[in-house]
Amino acid sequence: MINYNPIDGDVYSKRIKYRPRTCFIMTKLGKPIPKEIINMRRTVAKYLKNYKIEIIDASSIVTGRDFLVKIFEMILSVPLGIALISKKFNYKTIANIFYEIGLLQALGKETLIIKTEGSNIPSDFIRTEYIEYNNKIKEKISEYLKTYFELAEHYELLGCELIKNPITSIDYLKRSYLMTSESNTKDKINKIISSLFSPEHFTEEIKKNIKNLITS
Amino acid sequence: MSKKSSIGQTKNPRSGHYVKIDREKGKIISHKKSEGPYKNVPVIKKRDK
Repeated sequence: MINYNPIDGDVYSKRIKYRPRTCFIMTKLGKPIPKEIINMRRTVAKYLKNYKIEIIDASSIVTGRDFLVKIFEMILSVPLGIALISKKFNYKTIANIFYEIGLLQALGKETLIIKTEGSNIPSDFIRTEYIEYNNKIKEKISEYLKTYFELAEHYELLGCELIKNPITSIDYLKRSYLMTSESNTKDKINKIISSLFSPEHFTEEIKKNIKNLITS
Repeated sequence: MSKKSSIGQTKNPRSGHYVKIDREKGKIISHKKSEGPYKNVPVIKKRDK
């Protein structure tokens, strides 16, 4: 997959170190942070940990470089992003969070919005799944994660079935691997990559599919 | 033994709808808008890990 640098529009060719089973948290990081957001974050971290999913946010690493590029790289490295929204946030914070959700969705990452009651969601995100922060949060997160891991299996299945189109296949398997951290999935990706470099496996059909993928 | 069909379908857990794929072309060829599977299209079984 070709990614583009959000700053200059050039092809982004830096190698990204993946963070499987990691969730990128999008919320207000600078003080003052509303108490409900602190509680929400603690709850989310606790439940995700039960599923062996770690959380990171934009302040987790210091690069000394451009902040947006850092966020872009973090988003590229993870399978999942969760936005924590409060109605107490100002419009700048909300705009930043929804920009990041848009980035995640465009890059094929899973997203979830957790919001306090009474917070509004922009209309473009009306079909994005959201959970309200109340006493049913545990059940709702568990339900979401059940679908999340089913989706990882779905991606793995498509990755295996669409093998005649190796780029699509690798992309599905990569998404599944990021979600589950299954070494079997990683092995499958490496096997496909190796076969691409073996001329006897590089059939006319595969060449045609890659050409279509690039030019369509 | 019968030859495996190149067309199959599987359910997307997020949408709850079936997607039809063509293994020969390595492509998703359609997304079902309504409930339930496509008629006369084999459902792809999940593979063992």
